[in-house]
Amino acid sequence: MIVLGSNSEVAQAFVEECLTKGEKFQTIYLLSSNSETTEKFVGHIQVKFFQNSEIIPLDLMNEIDYKTLENINSDVLFCASGYLGLSTEDGLYDDENTERIIDVNYAKLVPVLNFFAKKMESKRSGTMIVLSSVAGERGRQSNFIYGSAKAALTAYLSGLRNYLFDKKVHVLTVKPGFMDTKMTEGLPLNPALTASPKKAAQGIYKAFKNKKDVAYVLPIWAIVMLIIRNIPEFIFKKLKL
Amino acid sequence: MKPNFVQKVTNWGNFPIVEKEMKSEDSVSKIKKFVKDNNEVIARGNGRCYGDASLGEHIFSTKRLNKFISFDRLNGVIECESGVLLSDVLEVSVPQGYFLYVTPGTKYISVGGAIASDVHGKNHHAEGCFSEYVIEFKMVDENAAVITCSREENPDKFWATIGGMGLTGIILSAKFKLKNIESAYIKQESIKAENLDEVFRLFDESEDWTYNVAWIDCFQKGKNLGRSILMRGEHALKAELPTNLQKKTLKLKEKPKPTIPFYFPGFVLNSLSIKIFNFLYYNKQTKKQLNNFIDYETFFYPLDVINEWNKIYGKSGFIQYQMVIPKENGKEGMRQILDAIAKSGNGSFLAVLKLFGKHNPQAYNSFPVEGYTLALDFKVNKGLKKLVDQLDTIVENFGGRIYLTKDSMSRSSITNYLQNVDSPKFVSLQHKRIISNNG
Repeated sequence: MIVLGSNSEVAQAFVEECLTKGEKFQTIYLLSSNSETTEKFVGHIQVKFFQNSEIIPLDLMNEIDYKTLENINSDVLFCASGYLGLSTEDGLYDDENTERIIDVNYAKLVPVLNFFAKKMESKRSGTMIVLSSVAGERGRQSNFIYGSAKAALTAYLSGLRNYLFDKKVHVLTVKPGFMDTKMTEGLPLNPALTASPKKAAQGIYKAFKNKKDVAYVLPIWAIVMLIIRNIPEFIFKKLKL
Repeated sequence: MKPNFVQKVTNWGNFPIVEKEMKSEDSVSKIKKFVKDNNEVIARGNGRCYGDASLGEHIFSTKRLNKFISFDRLNGVIECESGVLLSDVLEVSVPQGYFLYVTPGTKYISVGGAIASDVHGKNHHAEGCFSEYVIEFKMVDENAAVITCSREENPDKFWATIGGMGLTGIILSAKFKLKNIESAYIKQESIKAENLDEVFRLFDESEDWTYNVAWIDCFQKGKNLGRSILMRGEHALKAELPTNLQKKTLKLKEKPKPTIPFYFPGFVLNSLSIKIFNFLYYNKQTKKQLNNFIDYETFFYPLDVINEWNKIYGKSGFIQYQMVIPKENGKEGMRQILDAIAKSGNGSFLAVLKLFGKHNPQAYNSFPVEGYTLALDFKVNKGLKKLVDQLDTIVENFGGRIYLTKDSMSRSSITNYLQNVDSPKFVSLQHKRIISNNG
């Protein structure tokens, strides 16, 4: 398995879920920009599952040396790369923040996904599981820079899935709602709408096994987003969402 | 949305509930910074202590310190971060033929919590507390520095932290020994005792068993006072298991776990419903003695089978009261305590009696001293403070003390026994309460 953004708690929970369910991987390649938590994870899955893994440094904000990725091959890719950034209130006119959100969630991520898509295309097999976000379904005043980057990612994934369909590669777009992770710590999230990394990983694993195209992490989000998508714009623009 | 780390926090008893800052980190540098930036920090693991022991002004949750570090399968030594739960350890170790040397009645506590509470189990008389098997641990101390503590390295800090209720720092990781087992099953004998004298006698007779504990019906009065069932057990050897359990000796089948979906209304648990439960429990076993083989989950963690069982006590919550009374006067002390509870009508349907072995003199903050210990659950209600006060008086008169992991309202004279825990950096609400009540 190849994991992008492998210091993410959801990515790590997904790896654990696969291993708990008895999936076998020769090596798990952990691509990450921050090695402290990822290093701990290498030891953890060795103790818990006798699983070999390897850390590959990868920082989307720096120039990527594709030579280091050349020999990495696997049937499953899981991508949790993402960056929430500052809220609109604090960060809208902070260009560095805006650029970073767009880069990590979309602009600099897509070439890396393309790189691995090409490998799977030539092997005519594989699954790409990529975390996008419910925030990408409609721009809301609270986080529309992040939302628009995720919207672009969602559109990219939908096209990629279409392109790779007859090349036997499966693309799964995951749209998590709130998750109880470091990224959202301290935010006042409604517990009924919030999934723990473990719960999210279980849902994603199921969607992966059932060859779903698009999956929400908690079923309730399908309903919430159905409503949000269908509010007429002349009302939506007045809402404080 | 802005991060706001102030939130409602409560432990297993749902009492007290406080609004305090709670943060969680997995990076050591950020943990050090949190300690440096704040006074009155307290670490919190899985929140399975009952009262206010792991509540404070600035709570550090170890939930993100949840990784294993190493497992030496040859020598049975495991190292993990402090937020790893005992249930996680068992999941890894049991299939390899290893069990925890010491485990409390729930497996959903963190390793850090096990050290800070120096937890005990049904084998205290034979194998002591959790700390006996701890080789070393790493912690962030009051200078916001990471130090390694063992019997050789920083021994003062090591012993102050054992049973020190988190008041010496934040434990980051620990290395400890595990016990060899041949099977995941326990050879158990359950013996009914009609009264307190009989159960005391049974404890004396069961001294050579590794595990023993008694469930006690605290509604019984007079000649039935102390009616109970003593359960004693040993890890089953492969050869002694019945043939149907021989095939997969170290692997248990996963059982479905029901969850209590909501807080029960306050009236559900009353003296009548508890009396009925106790009657059924005592009479379920028709024979005087029952010998069988049961899996370790059923033997050690009967309540873990139900998720969120604490909700049956309703929204007002409950307390657990656990005291120890030194052995020389223990029998009389227990009699007075059980008598007071029976008269109060504030019955507990989970009362557990046990005879502790010798106190480890090095682990001076560790709760268990040689004597009888009784653990009871009480629903929080108006009369509770008065009952606790009454029980506290008996405990005090008999020279006993209270288990701080359970305590949320007992008096200082029987709770203020920790030493070398006075750093202003690490303070819990419990410690503040105990110190301020001291007068």
